Amino acid sequence: MTSVRPKLKPETPKAITAWDTASGQTVWLSADGQWTSDMTRLGVFTGRAAEDRLNEARAQEHLVTDPYFMEVTAAGTIAGRETLRETIRAQGPTVPYGEVPR
Amino acid sequence: MYRYDEFDAAIVRERVDQFRGQVSRRLDGTLLEDEFKPLRLQNGVYLQLHAYMLRVAIPYGQLDPAKLRRLADIAERYDRGYGHFTTRQNIQFNWVGLKDIPDVLQSLSEVEMHAIQTSGNCIRNVTSDHFAGAAQDEVMDPRPWCEIIRQWSTFHPEFAFLPRKFKIAVTAAEDDRAAIRVHDIGLHIRRRDGQIGFEVHVGGGQGRTPVIATKLNDFVPETELLDYLEAIMRVYNRFGRRDNKYKARIKILVTETGADEFRRLVDTEYAAQTDAEKIALPQAEIDRIHAYFAPPDLTRKPARSQILETAQAANPAFQRWIRVNLHPHKQAGYASITISLKPIGGLAGDATTAQMRVVAKLAEEYGHDDIRVTHAQNLVLPHVALDDLPALYADLDGAGLATANEGLVTDMIVCPGLDYCNLANARSIPIGQDIQQTFADPDYQEDIGRLHINISGCINACGHHHVGHIGILGVDRKGEEFYQISLGGRADHHAAIGDIAGRALSREEVPDAIKRIIDTYRDLRTSAAEPFIETLNRLGHTPFKEAIYAAD
Amino acid sequence: MPLIKNGCVVDNEWTFIDDSTDPDGTGLVTVSLPRYLQDVTHERTRNVTLGVRLTPSDDPDLLLPHLDHLPLIEIEFPKYTDGRGYSLAQILRRRHGYTGELRAVGHVLRDQILYMNRSGFDAFETARADLSQVLEALSEHSAYYQPAADGHPTVFARRHLRPD
Repeated sequence: MTSVRPKLKPETPKAITAWDTASGQTVWLSADGQWTSDMTRLGVFTGRAAEDRLNEARAQEHLVTDPYFMEVTAAGTIAGRETLRETIRAQGPTVPYGEVPR
Repeated sequence: MYRYDEFDAAIVRERVDQFRGQVSRRLDGTLLEDEFKPLRLQNGVYLQLHAYMLRVAIPYGQLDPAKLRRLADIAERYDRGYGHFTTRQNIQFNWVGLKDIPDVLQSLSEVEMHAIQTSGNCIRNVTSDHFAGAAQDEVMDPRPWCEIIRQWSTFHPEFAFLPRKFKIAVTAAEDDRAAIRVHDIGLHIRRRDGQIGFEVHVGGGQGRTPVIATKLNDFVPETELLDYLEAIMRVYNRFGRRDNKYKARIKILVTETGADEFRRLVDTEYAAQTDAEKIALPQAEIDRIHAYFAPPDLTRKPARSQILETAQAANPAFQRWIRVNLHPHKQAGYASITISLKPIGGLAGDATTAQMRVVAKLAEEYGHDDIRVTHAQNLVLPHVALDDLPALYADLDGAGLATANEGLVTDMIVCPGLDYCNLANARSIPIGQDIQQTFADPDYQEDIGRLHINISGCINACGHHHVGHIGILGVDRKGEEFYQISLGGRADHHAAIGDIAGRALSREEVPDAIKRIIDTYRDLRTSAAEPFIETLNRLGHTPFKEAIYAAD
Repeated sequence: MPLIKNGCVVDNEWTFIDDSTDPDGTGLVTVSLPRYLQDVTHERTRNVTLGVRLTPSDDPDLLLPHLDHLPLIEIEFPKYTDGRGYSLAQILRRRHGYTGELRAVGHVLRDQILYMNRSGFDAFETARADLSQVLEALSEHSAYYQPAADGHPTVFARRHLRPD
């Protein structure tokens, strides 16, 4: 497994994130079970339901690779220890491509 | 340089077809990710933080204009107009979709390139001296043997599932520009009684457990090299640890077994090889491959160039570039020149599509079609006439490729870090940029002189922080980025692992701490001619450690 | 589990028994290396044809005195990423000249079969690949740089056999 992320408590709000297998893009599971590259549409899960959704995600290898839990707020914004990492996964590198200052 | 024959071309082509089949089985679900992962790694495909990354092999750092142009095309189409040159002389592209990678590999095969074994638990790219073939101090050009080792190691059926990755480096000069002592196998080509042979070092490496290699053998005659390598590989394959990923490199086997016992195991295996097992590389083949690396036809020129000297006198920036980025050539009237990919505030080791195309054109015009990638993430034109340097400089400058900082404080080795890498704990690139801004003044940099700062975003040490004169390691503390400084590392023939200086610093603290280290050096050096690393060795680390934490 | 040998699916006539099980009279039986070395001259296996199943850490040199009358050697791949079996196969075939059946068992996947075949395996017990996939895997490469147990001439050699 590529991702060994810190374990989250069952009651912590979680999103399920993965990589789109064909393109490598960061994706999140929406509340209605679709994989989306639009972070505003991610579903927030807790407890047993979250575990079930993650297991279902793991069975969809041809669609997504390496799904795992990421911590979010109840409103679905990135939270917790991995905030910087997940922000970069969502928005790309913090060092912009562009003209190099001369 | 080497050109594929029909066999080389078939091997690469068949591999592309094989991987195309594997990708399609992955995408339709018949191949599980767990089964696919080693296969994709052995084709250079990583799944990184926010995209796939493709690591294309540049065997022993050797490029020509056609290859570099194709890399530029790939950067344009699949990356965001950039390619990143690595500490193993390879190039990495980001954002290539898995579904597109077979086509990219197809395109690469058309210019005799591939991504074979650039990752995975197999024998990786053989790296070497970026001045090979031009250096004054080499016993011979190491590239032919690098090419032979490359072929021998490609799709070796016995060594595709080693305990862990395996890296080989080759030097032919005392001044080791290939860092052989921090490689799994390091080879130093020597001449003895008119014979060519290899001094063999084994078990060097960085990562979590940095180790300087052990000398295994003083002199293996060239005709025996491949069989001797087979013996080492088989001992490693059979007895290397497989219980713990972080204890699986050959360096652990050598240290846990003990150097003498390890040598005995290799010698026993080597002695047990029957004639039927010997590789029996024909002398004709050794000669054939060597012939590809015949020196370029360089027009005889006087040792001094009036054109160069006039241009230097007229342009101080050009004069600086000549002072800093030029490396002496074995032939009078020529030089090797470093094209720095470390502009102040830029992306260390990256070149844009446009820049790659400029370098390709300049290599054709002034460089005898020969381009090298260095393990410090820069490019080199190894053969340039002194007369051509002013024109070359003007064109490089126009493309942002004339930063005069080779080997200076702003020429840092910087891994991609958390901005790209799934394994990282902290970002590296912005820290490098912060430090560069602190030392942006070119006079200041030149006064400081040769100083290697290496930055890694995690303990895997892809930025080679263990062997930096100053090493910086990014760590994660509860989601915050911190940076640990080490002192006294060296990658050359006096290879050494740096010592950690003390508590980790926040990102904001790092540039000033580095400045205090360097101010201390400038205060305490015997003269401007004493390089940082020698002042450090002479005085010990204490005054520098105190300087790091002086702001406390 | 399907057994593929010499380009065909064949019946597996052998049974592996663990160290605590007695062979039930006659038949073709593979046992572990330590047991083989004990049993090969033992009375209780007089009517049994013995083969041996090597684990990745076993020493193949111990079989040297027995290779002439050993019809089957199985080499186990506990996980396909454990590459020790390739070395064991090469040693048995090329160093010791073993000519019997060398069978890959355990976690044997389609994409390792070419390397296994090159290393000396001529039989594959695989749950995850059918015959057509195995045959396809075996034909994925036509030229090889290094010598191996399969005896294919190396590219190095082939380059210099051609007339000028």
